[in-house]
Amino acid sequence: MNSRFYLSLMLISSLVLMAFLAIAFNREMTPVWKDYQTEYKETLIKNAKDDGTRERAEKIQVGLQQIYIKALNKSDRCTSCHAGVENPLMAAAEVPYKQHSGNYLKNHPLPKFGCTLCHRGQGRALNIAEAHGEEHQHWDFPIVPAKYIQSSCASCHDYKMLETEGGEKVAKGEKLFREKGCLGCHKLNGVGGALGKDIAGIANKAYYYFSMAAVVGERNMYSWIKQHFDDPRKIVPESQMRAFLTDEEADLLTTYMLTFRTDEMPRSYRLIKNIDKVATDGKSMYTAYCSACHSDGKTSVYDEIFARTIPAIRNPSFLKTISNSELKRIVKEGRKGTQMTAWKSEAAGLTEKQIDEIVKYVAKDRPSEKSRPFNVAKIKSDIERGAEIYNNRCALCHGEEGKGGENLLGMTLRDSALSPEFIAITVRDGRKGTPMVPFGNGGIGLSNQEIADTVAYVKNLTNDKK
Amino acid sequence: MDNSNKTGLAQFADNLKSVKSSFVGSFSRGGWPTSDKGRTSTVVNNFFLHLHTAKTHINTLKPSYTLGMGLISFFLLVIAFISGGFLMVYYSPSTTTAFNAVKDINFVVFGGQLMRNIHKWSGEAMIIFVILHMVRIVYTNSYKQGREFNWVIGIVLLILTFVLNLTGYMLPWDQLSYWALVIVANIAAAPKELTDIFNGMFGITLPDIGGATKEVLLGGTEPGQESLTRVYLLHILLLPLAICVFLGVHFFRIRKDGGLTRPANVSAGSGESIISPPEKKGGIFPTHKTYGLMELSKGRTPAVDTDIENTVTSWPNLFIAEIAVFMFTLAAVVAYSYFFDAPLKEYANPMIPENPAKAPWYFLGLQELVSYSAFMGGQGLPGLALAGLIAIPFLDRENRDIGIWFTNKQGKAIAIESFIVGSVAVIGTLAFVVTQGWFREWWPEIHQLWIVAINPGNLLLGFVMVYTLWVIKRTNSTRMGAISLITFFLVCYVILTYTGTVLRGPNWVFYWSPSDWPIH
Repeated sequence: MNSRFYLSLMLISSLVLMAFLAIAFNREMTPVWKDYQTEYKETLIKNAKDDGTRERAEKIQVGLQQIYIKALNKSDRCTSCHAGVENPLMAAAEVPYKQHSGNYLKNHPLPKFGCTLCHRGQGRALNIAEAHGEEHQHWDFPIVPAKYIQSSCASCHDYKMLETEGGEKVAKGEKLFREKGCLGCHKLNGVGGALGKDIAGIANKAYYYFSMAAVVGERNMYSWIKQHFDDPRKIVPESQMRAFLTDEEADLLTTYMLTFRTDEMPRSYRLIKNIDKVATDGKSMYTAYCSACHSDGKTSVYDEIFARTIPAIRNPSFLKTISNSELKRIVKEGRKGTQMTAWKSEAAGLTEKQIDEIVKYVAKDRPSEKSRPFNVAKIKSDIERGAEIYNNRCALCHGEEGKGGENLLGMTLRDSALSPEFIAITVRDGRKGTPMVPFGNGGIGLSNQEIADTVAYVKNLTNDKK
Repeated sequence: MDNSNKTGLAQFADNLKSVKSSFVGSFSRGGWPTSDKGRTSTVVNNFFLHLHTAKTHINTLKPSYTLGMGLISFFLLVIAFISGGFLMVYYSPSTTTAFNAVKDINFVVFGGQLMRNIHKWSGEAMIIFVILHMVRIVYTNSYKQGREFNWVIGIVLLILTFVLNLTGYMLPWDQLSYWALVIVANIAAAPKELTDIFNGMFGITLPDIGGATKEVLLGGTEPGQESLTRVYLLHILLLPLAICVFLGVHFFRIRKDGGLTRPANVSAGSGESIISPPEKKGGIFPTHKTYGLMELSKGRTPAVDTDIENTVTSWPNLFIAEIAVFMFTLAAVVAYSYFFDAPLKEYANPMIPENPAKAPWYFLGLQELVSYSAFMGGQGLPGLALAGLIAIPFLDRENRDIGIWFTNKQGKAIAIESFIVGSVAVIGTLAFVVTQGWFREWWPEIHQLWIVAINPGNLLLGFVMVYTLWVIKRTNSTRMGAISLITFFLVCYVILTYTGTVLRGPNWVFYWSPSDWPIH
């Protein structure tokens, strides 16, 4: 029954099956690396200057190449296409036949290091898109762009050595990282502010860790890091990052950031000539942890990103009114309601001694003469009168609620740790170098009584839970 | 043969000369069959062929009757078994090596990628064809007259097909595997939604059955090596064993029930298309009777004494059909596998959830329901749906018109009506949920119990039940109810699966197409 139908179905199906098996077989027999290797071999034969070279070239067996590194559990098949990486005759050839640039392979023999240890990408893959980990290939660590490749050197070498021996970009990046004060907001290995993301191990984060929506060009970790330096808020809309970098600096910092890897090299791979010492003097630490926001600390600046004014903490007239222990307390505990991080060891990870050093540096320019004392406690204050003065005189800059903030030149006044006397002295004497003018006798002319009333109102605001 | 005159050596020489024919003869026993008797004994004497009856009804061979769905499902399983054996050579079930092993299968094993594709697609195609096979069984009224329990076994096979596919999905240990495992584990833990509601309500504490199930499945509280070991064991040993056993019973019962169903009156059509027409004279079969062991056992054996004139010898008619369907299945799978690679994502990363984290496509209909209520979507509704399917042959016992597609004109009308009504109901429900939200969006503080009790999934199921009862009442026929129910099942499964697969993007938000999804 229906035998004609079944016989023709069988016949057609068998033909289709055989056809597909044949083209599948053909596809298996002609992988892309075979073409590259054949071409490599032919180039060698063609360019051979003497018989010996030609003979050697003719003996080359075209076949799958693999560097297996037991210590790293890596199988790198890159040389299946990049056949000439070790051949000096291919120095002037095109990629992928080209010899490896520089003399890196001399000290990093292929059988020990392979390729992906430094270049990343997918060593097992045998087609270009997947081997290089191009976009949409589901590979978290694409091949590292040449301009950032020095980041890999830091896995095994110290920066002092890299500075002079072929790793100058990553060494420069490391310096720049401290100078730009990235740690003021970003934590790295337990030390750093909490405003930004912890960046330890960032170079080993999966593709989906990064939000690629606004990344231009190839969407991968490298583009993300570089472009987030160029325009932080384009990449991460809610970012408060203050990055003012040239293109070159951004590249250097990107190179350095790519050293934050979590895969540790075996001891036999590392070559450390010097122990990298992080400077722990007050000035260096101020640069690394504080300067990103406070700059040199001499003038207060209204910051568009933070939407508040950043105080001038090294301003002599400020230092006059504040003691080192008070400064230290602020550094340690941070300022609630502002971007100021708590730098104590449990939070941002600075030791007591380091904080002392920083405070010492901040207070370096404190004038020898102290502010005239202002004994607020002795004056009986009238809060309602204070409120009137505050709303007339202070609210314009400090805001009606005393919180400072957006489009306001003033600081927040709602820190319970601010002593009444500190506020009173500041109101009376003003703060030189900032918009805060003296409101006392030397300036606007408020009486001590009026100042005390205002201070009482301000302190009352702090109690107010709003 | 009388060998007494020959020397031993001459005998040996003779035997040597005839070794080919004697070997072939010992292998095939009767040689190439030329008569009905020979054809019959070929079937009976061969281990593989004897699973078939010696003679096959012509209706069974009609492609338009079975559409070959069951056979295709079986051959897909065979293909999956063979390609799976190939993959097992290279695979190793460890969270550290599994991913690399699959990568190597893709990159360096000769034909590895193709084989992996074949394994993947034949397995997933099984789901489609098993469901279509089921639908065919209902539409042709083939679950009656002793076949009721075989239908239940069929449902078990459907479940096994799902679970085999699911466990296979987890083996590469990539992001898809890991997060599908997380989803499945959470669905296993879904009774927690219910126990949590009642905990403390009447001063009682219910045992956390869901959590316990999840831990047994994962071998811990989150996916890891232990889970992979378990999933691997299920995928390569326990489930294949189970499916073989149930398949054996399924086939055995088909034979005992007298082969495939067929209408009471079948005309042979033109005899020319039969390769070896029944010999009317001679042979061991009188045209009016068939014999079998069935005659020795009690009970009804529908094959006996009925419709003999419409049977043909299975050799070669049935076997040609089977080989043709097998070749068709294999060719289709290989062709599809040539063009479409089985997905493989990044290495499993517990820190970075896939967004949207989706189960494999065949469960995305359920995941759509899970997005309303974890317990109802993940366990309650699929459980009720399966129970409803199992109940079909027991609730519809009209033993008329077996083996006729849609029974009659009314059946066809009911199928079309149910198709339209079902589509409108599902799409309407989805459209309402997508545009209007549900209780949680309207009253964020509402008690979860309300959502477990009243959610779009439940309402849909309720609608299907009521509508089916109304069909039965209106047509005065349970058979029409069965046609209506299976149509609803098919429509719901297809539309919900499509919605979960294509229309749901990151955070399970509705998008018309995946190309509209925001770039991560």
